[in-house]
Amino acid sequence: MLIFTIRRLNLFFFTMVLLTIVSFSLSFLFPGDALINLSGQINTSPEQLIQLSENYQTENSIFMQYYSYLGHILNGDLGLSMSSQTPINTEIANLLPATIELSMVALLLSMVIGIPLGFIAAIKHNKTADNVILSVAMIGYSIPVFWLGLLAILIFSIVLSWLPSAGQISLLFEIEHVTGIQFIDILLSDNAYKWQAFQNASEHIILPACVIATAPGTIFIRLARTSMLEVLETSYIRAARAKGLSFNQIIYRHAIRNALVKIIRHVGLQFANLVTLAMVTEVIFSWPGIGRWLIESIYQRDYTSIHSGLLVLSCFIFIVHILTDFIYAALNPLARDNIHGS
Amino acid sequence: MAREKIYQEEEFPSPFLQLWLIFRKTPVAMTGFVCSIFLITLAIFSPILTPYSAVESNLDMLLLPPAWDDNGNLSFLLGTDDLGRDMLSRLMSGASLTFGLSFVVVLISLAIGVILGSLSALTSGLKASFLNHFLDVILSIPSLLLAIIIVAILGPGLSNTLWAIVMVLIPQFIHITRNAVKEEFSKDYVLASRLDGASSFRILRYSVFPNIIEKIVSQATLAQSAAILDIAALGFLGLGAPIPLPEWGAMLKGGIDLFYIAPWAVYLPGLAILFSVVATNLVGEGIRHALKVHKES
Repeated sequence: MLIFTIRRLNLFFFTMVLLTIVSFSLSFLFPGDALINLSGQINTSPEQLIQLSENYQTENSIFMQYYSYLGHILNGDLGLSMSSQTPINTEIANLLPATIELSMVALLLSMVIGIPLGFIAAIKHNKTADNVILSVAMIGYSIPVFWLGLLAILIFSIVLSWLPSAGQISLLFEIEHVTGIQFIDILLSDNAYKWQAFQNASEHIILPACVIATAPGTIFIRLARTSMLEVLETSYIRAARAKGLSFNQIIYRHAIRNALVKIIRHVGLQFANLVTLAMVTEVIFSWPGIGRWLIESIYQRDYTSIHSGLLVLSCFIFIVHILTDFIYAALNPLARDNIHGS
Repeated sequence: MAREKIYQEEEFPSPFLQLWLIFRKTPVAMTGFVCSIFLITLAIFSPILTPYSAVESNLDMLLLPPAWDDNGNLSFLLGTDDLGRDMLSRLMSGASLTFGLSFVVVLISLAIGVILGSLSALTSGLKASFLNHFLDVILSIPSLLLAIIIVAILGPGLSNTLWAIVMVLIPQFIHITRNAVKEEFSKDYVLASRLDGASSFRILRYSVFPNIIEKIVSQATLAQSAAILDIAALGFLGLGAPIPLPEWGAMLKGGIDLFYIAPWAVYLPGLAILFSVVATNLVGEGIRHALKVHKES
């Protein structure tokens, strides 16, 4: 496990260096002055400009510039947003939790619905249920997410008016911003209408979360189906059957556990996919998250926000990736090292 | 045509032909294949086939519903949008933008990716290990996010979107070619031709490529469905095709404002995207199924 951890941390370090280099070089690739792209200060007097260039060491070699940029990032200074002239780190601190909340709910939803369906398809292999589930899955991951979002708004918000179509919570509720994750904030607040607020927030999250969860959910169906089929063909399942265990016992005690472990491995990759879908969905549902903010800053040519936002978003994706790798290794001894069988 | 066996000669179809013979027998995959051919024909010949111009507006025919509606007009089969442009013509020309361009994008990135992948399969050591790490990092970033980054650097526009998607798809092809070539190179028949004195490039050309082409084609269908969705998503976000162009994603975006009055301007382009992605995915599924059957037989 130690070697595994060191290797993962090594990969993490390598990737972080790569990401910061990419983010640093973006400021040169974007149009305009690199120093202003990095700092985001557009209305500077000559004196301030000199101060800034000392800060970012633009007179020195490119390595020193990168080093000072790294120092700025590590101190949590991501520069100012070019359009609003507010510090980006506070903006991101306000917006990122909303995205985390939405994508986590969507991930949970896609796993809770997708994995059992995949298992059912594998157990009923080559029967009607299998074919129906597979066809639904095929349509599910072919459907463009923005179109699905619009249809969901049309059907559930406009025609049926069951669920709200935009925002995170109704403006009537005043919830103090503590962690940024709405549900936790509501539970922490001492508002008299806590439960109404909770209910309202859940109503708001249902539609966007379902829309985001569709494509990853159908991929989980396929992953669960293949891994279950693989497990059912192994010799230990045959041994269990020879021992005289009933079909239910084999499935619940042996097959599901082993199949689940294989799926967890793919969660990290699917999460990256899910965050991208969340970015598009946030635009449609006016969700106050980092994806909408990032796309708006592309419209406004706010280069400082773009490169800082990308850095934060890709760090977030990568941290989740590494975390799922650790969970997978903790659950599956075979992934840690090759000593245990092979 | 029935073939009679006159001579005691055994025929060995090439791996690709064998795959096609299996592929032909799955009706669902063939449906997808026919739909793809239909879309490709539409993409090529849409300037001749469209009844009206895709960008010309018809001011006395604004927001006409499709012909099956009571207020519809049969000369505008799928209705018109808010500027009186014929939806059918726009959708048909959109096929050459969204589907046709995604096809071109996949071909370009396939060519670059296969060349780089086979070159990298022939190298080993530190360079290869660095490349592997680098590819792992790139592949873990989702394609749409990467495309958005590249578009942010290049600036919005259709051609920039296409270059962005080409760049995004290349690593996938490098990865799959590299692994496939490495796998083939460790097999005995490659060793045999190597003992005959063939150079690495000759082996690649005559021995390896005919055997890995189906893997690359299967990856290409995956890439194509991703490319269609990415082009449409960027168009929808307003970062791709500019306004008058009938790109399906951009059309969808244009229809949102009138969503309630003219829902057909939103659901028709969406259906077109869905149709083309499903067709591509069906072909891909068919190829993968054929590969599996071929391996087991």
